[in-house]
Amino acid sequence: MNLQKTVKSTEFYVALIILLLCMAIQMKSGQFFTGNNLVDVVRAFSVPAMFCIGEMFVIITGGVDVSFPAIASLSMFFVCSELEEVASNPLFFFLVAMLIGLAVGLLNGVIIARFRFPALIVTLGTSSICFGIMQGVFKSREYPLCEPLKELGEMKLFSATNPVSGLTSNMPVAVILMIVLVFLGWFILNRTMLGRGIYAIGGDVKAAQRSGFNVFGILLFIYAFSGCMAGLIGVLRSTMLLAVHPNNLEGMEMTVIAACVLGGVRMTGGKGSVLGALLGMALLTIVDNSLILLGISTIWQKVFTGAIIIIGTAASAMQTKRNERKLAIKMNEGGK
Amino acid sequence: MNKKKYLAVALGLIFCVGLAGCGGDSKSQKPDSAKTSVKKVVETTDVATKGEKKDWKIAVVVKDSSNGWFARMEQGVKQYAGDTGINAYQKGPASTDAAQQVQVIQDVINQGINALCVVPVDPAACDPVLKEARDKGIIVITHEGSSCKNVDYDLEAFNNAGYGAFIMDKLQESMGGKGVYTTMVAHLTNASQNEWANGAVAEQQAKYSGLQLLDNPKRVESENNSEKAYQVAKEVMKSHSEVKGFVGTSSMDTPGIARAINELGLKGKAFVVGTGMPNECRSLIKDGSLSYITLWDPAEAGYAMCVMARQILEGKKITDGADLGLKSYSKLLQSKDNPTLFMGAGWIAINKDNVDNYNF
Repeated sequence: MNLQKTVKSTEFYVALIILLLCMAIQMKSGQFFTGNNLVDVVRAFSVPAMFCIGEMFVIITGGVDVSFPAIASLSMFFVCSELEEVASNPLFFFLVAMLIGLAVGLLNGVIIARFRFPALIVTLGTSSICFGIMQGVFKSREYPLCEPLKELGEMKLFSATNPVSGLTSNMPVAVILMIVLVFLGWFILNRTMLGRGIYAIGGDVKAAQRSGFNVFGILLFIYAFSGCMAGLIGVLRSTMLLAVHPNNLEGMEMTVIAACVLGGVRMTGGKGSVLGALLGMALLTIVDNSLILLGISTIWQKVFTGAIIIIGTAASAMQTKRNERKLAIKMNEGGK
Repeated sequence: MNKKKYLAVALGLIFCVGLAGCGGDSKSQKPDSAKTSVKKVVETTDVATKGEKKDWKIAVVVKDSSNGWFARMEQGVKQYAGDTGINAYQKGPASTDAAQQVQVIQDVINQGINALCVVPVDPAACDPVLKEARDKGIIVITHEGSSCKNVDYDLEAFNNAGYGAFIMDKLQESMGGKGVYTTMVAHLTNASQNEWANGAVAEQQAKYSGLQLLDNPKRVESENNSEKAYQVAKEVMKSHSEVKGFVGTSSMDTPGIARAINELGLKGKAFVVGTGMPNECRSLIKDGSLSYITLWDPAEAGYAMCVMARQILEGKKITDGADLGLKSYSKLLQSKDNPTLFMGAGWIAINKDNVDNYNF
């Protein structure tokens, strides 16, 4: 990628804003670029970033998935409360959760791909059903985490201690999974025919179909993938919390969608990148985790967060507009 | 056309499964009364069991019969029945559901009860059926339902400012009487939690000059999410190394802050006291990251409602300072704004010595 192209991309502007924000936090508090703070930010980033990958796939095809927090919560609560006695291997819990997520994801996929119902409404419906089953059938409540998962949650990759304040932060093992998932997302999108198909569907479904893409299969895959990953992430979240909180993820869909859009994933489909979505999420996470370091009082925090989101979107949107105008001028000149 | 048929069949199936699930639930709530032996769970004085008649029938309807909190309340109601010989029992829907609860209330009204004690899921949804009960001459008492209109009395475990002061007393004790602290609520818009936090701050300013409220932020939000509470607590301690204490109000705040203290390596140097549930906080309390959790004992609240019901049935008028014969309800406080609202002093603090006595 050449420099000129980089400077014109959305990702570049989001990265620039992140950099400026980090500098500002560092100047104000002197705490941002310390080992323990960076570990805290990465930790807070990991779960929403994983959700971003699945959501990005869906948005690129022109749909939207708002059911993943419900799928994650349902799978998490089911495996943690019902299978406590059954197994002692943490892998088993993850596997069952992924299967539950896969089932709900397939349901989403079949309804959306086969009957072409609006994705928002379908996933809103499954979301409600999942929360309903969790509350009605499994009587969800705060629940202590079973031993094997707790041990996993207490494991850490490394600890970062601040030499000045002596404060320590632990890097959870979940981060490894995040890296794997991000790589997988990047690989599918950029190195496989499936990835091409995802972009093609988002560009124009009819054209994608005529050029030989299996539209049904691809749509089914992305919703199933999103659901399956949601199941996995749900259990992962409970290991990080060291407890089962069924309503912990409620409302995260909006943050994840906002992060994708902020990072240049177009809501109407056809455009977006893993890097962009992750940068968008990074910006939101850093803002969310640094307001106290910046000394902004609790009353003004929401105003500040809102302003950053708008500035972030505006910078990239303006750039896109400028590009379009240039393109229009070039075409005009070519016509002469 | 064919596709639509398939879809209709699929939706129909889902609907049937859902209905079957609900049907199973409502049946499972029946066999739960008076089987286990009566345990002494609350301490009482003579006032609690004193009375003229024994053939009263008192029903307590809770939000959710499967919930550990209300299982503990039922122990209190059962103890009352055992202590007095009065037919007092507890019922509740199989899940926290306002419509199902109204159904349960209707059922118990038809069982010829004299008094009805309700912990409403949704006060507004309950009001019509409570009116029905009162029209039949049944005494109605609510708990956690001060906005219900058709009640004789509403009994609350405590007044909000007093509970906040209690949290502060325990925090002050844990911090050894000196240091800087700050407060956490779920949302700045949450009425009762902010009243607790204000009560804590007022108590500190009146009594504990060794403690000092952090200047900025004075109050932080956890959004009722323990992960957020954990992140915010870490951030506060990173940017203000002088902070040594936290007042937690929501039951998500307290364990989240405790996890942050544990991980930062500040166990024994920084302290948190606040609302929390024993099962969830047990390991944090035992490893020393969490000093005290505070709450009110549902068993005592259940017992107190029954005592109050009987006193009213026997013609006694409940006034400011009334005694229900329980430690936390020995001197009721009448609300100035609402003459039917009475408050106890029903808070308890749980630390590693007594956490194993509570299982909810």
